Amino acid sequence: MISIKNLKAGIEDNLILKGINLEVKAGEVHAIMGPNGSGKSTLACVIAGKEDYQVQEGTIDFEGEDLLELSPEERAHIGVFLSFQYPVEIPGISVSNFIKTSINERRKAKELDPIPAPELLKMMREKMELLNIKKGYLSRNMNEGFSGGEKKRNEIFQMAMLEPKLAILDETDSGLDIDTLRIVANGVNKIKTKDNAIIVITHYQRLLDYIVPDFVHVLHNGRIIKSGSKELAHELEEKGYDWITKEADKKWA
Amino acid sequence: MGLIENIKSFSIIENLSAEKNGLFQSFLANGFPTIKQEDWKYTSLKKIVANDFSVEGNGVTVSEEDIKKYSLGLQHKIVFCGGNLISKPSIDGVSISAFSEFESQNKDAISVLNSSLAKKGFTIKIAKNTVVENPIEILFFTSTKQDNFVQYRNNIDVGENSQIKFVERIQNLSDSKCFVNHFTQINIGKNAKVEYNKIQDNNENAILIDNMNLYQQQDSSVIVNTLIFGGAFTRNNLNFEQNGSNCDSNMNGISILDNNQFADNHTFMDHKQPHCRSNEMYKGIYLGDSKGVFNGKIMVRPDAQKIDAFQSNNNLLLSENATIDSKPQLEIYADDVKCSHGCTIGQLDDDALFYMRSRGIREKEAKAVLTYAFASEAVNNFTIAEVKKLAQKRIAEKLHVDLDFNL
Repeated sequence: MISIKNLKAGIEDNLILKGINLEVKAGEVHAIMGPNGSGKSTLACVIAGKEDYQVQEGTIDFEGEDLLELSPEERAHIGVFLSFQYPVEIPGISVSNFIKTSINERRKAKELDPIPAPELLKMMREKMELLNIKKGYLSRNMNEGFSGGEKKRNEIFQMAMLEPKLAILDETDSGLDIDTLRIVANGVNKIKTKDNAIIVITHYQRLLDYIVPDFVHVLHNGRIIKSGSKELAHELEEKGYDWITKEADKKWA
Repeated sequence: MGLIENIKSFSIIENLSAEKNGLFQSFLANGFPTIKQEDWKYTSLKKIVANDFSVEGNGVTVSEEDIKKYSLGLQHKIVFCGGNLISKPSIDGVSISAFSEFESQNKDAISVLNSSLAKKGFTIKIAKNTVVENPIEILFFTSTKQDNFVQYRNNIDVGENSQIKFVERIQNLSDSKCFVNHFTQINIGKNAKVEYNKIQDNNENAILIDNMNLYQQQDSSVIVNTLIFGGAFTRNNLNFEQNGSNCDSNMNGISILDNNQFADNHTFMDHKQPHCRSNEMYKGIYLGDSKGVFNGKIMVRPDAQKIDAFQSNNNLLLSENATIDSKPQLEIYADDVKCSHGCTIGQLDDDALFYMRSRGIREKEAKAVLTYAFASEAVNNFTIAEVKKLAQKRIAEKLHVDLDFNL
């Protein structure tokens, strides 16, 4: 589904990603772990198309399309979704209208008519149930005054509504209590099919108990320094990152 | 010839009474205000008054299509053509007629010019205990072949316990310049509720100076909404005076300007009595080479204790060349009051923009949604659905997007 080759990117002269290679196939869940400042969020932002980052080298192929040539909205239209680490508050726009606008913008890009209101409402109700979201929530302003948990739940709600092919969950577990974590993770698992894929970015093993990865990658200093199965996450939880980062530092010094 | 010479010639034909002539002479003594005056520092009339306007020229008639085009389609309509009242609704407890004399206290040159020479406009009296459910639309049409200067002078008396809403629009139907000096005075009786909406969406040849005085008696509640979308030059002086306790005064404004449009909102909130509230919210969106001015003054007189006054002016500059001059002024002479004000000038938030684009909302549309969201706090205060809808439609048009903003 997505194939990232030798990706080098950064902000101005500061190179953050120093040659990322990653291959994610439909139906797979990949976890990207790593210490603070390793480049995890940068990778997520570059895939989603944030213009603050300049790509200096490498390619990202998404189902045959050169992702780096597309605007953030075009990437969304073909099925890329980023769940933000820090979802943005947008006062003045209700959750329901925001979602309606994003769905219709995508439909417009595919030359489809706007979604009929009853269909949209039905879909919203179903997905809200999935994530245990209360009714009044739809009329609240987008993320405004939301708790950390509500913001993350709102991200996954949008993911459920937009049905992306590739979802990148950037530290979706941060700021969540254990109950909310479980609800959010269960929601993600229900959205998961053999046709879509998920990249989970996280510091901790905790989330991976619920969203079980097929592959775990360790990102350090802009490079994937180790890849493995879900057991790697357990190992990291136990031993920390030092044992592999030191080795990598020696190699790239 | 410049405007002032033409007005002089006009005044001779008018054969003014001694009193009116006295007023007119006091206007002539200093002429139109210049940028040397503090209240006109950012707002220059120099080029405008240099035009060779005819004064109170006669226009053509308006058609049913014109009325339909510029009306919000509300049930009650008062229609003026070239300053003449051509149709009015019949509503129990409401008397509507053409201009009749009334005195005003305003000492500024523009108001004095209006009171000395204006003879067109409306007089509305609402009997006490009259609740008018449906808003009344007031349409002023102007249309002359040559550039024209006109003055309207309007008075509304709202009786005790009465409730009424107005939506006003001044529309120039010709390609000639039209300069309107509009003066409206509203006396609001005890426990009355009044809402006045100004739709300032005139064509690019329109110049407007609008002065409105509102005198409130105790327990009354007033909302004035000012929507500026059109016109080349707009200056609003909006003056509230609370003459009784427990009054509510509310001002909501949205301006969305592009090209070379200019708009200046001057507000004056005069708290003269205790236990009153005022709430003022002006949102400005500036595109192209447009220019905005906001000057909001809140005065709390010595006896006006327990006042709760709030003012905000938020501005969004969406182009390199757009400018805004914003000046809040608080003068407080009472010690037990709550007064606050805030002024912001900013651009759209890049993080919010990326967030929206990452959800598939195209850049232009995302900008428009964020811009609408910025204005929505004021738009959501519009109680008349048609006014709110018009605001949404015009904002979308001015941002060149096909979105309904129906939030």
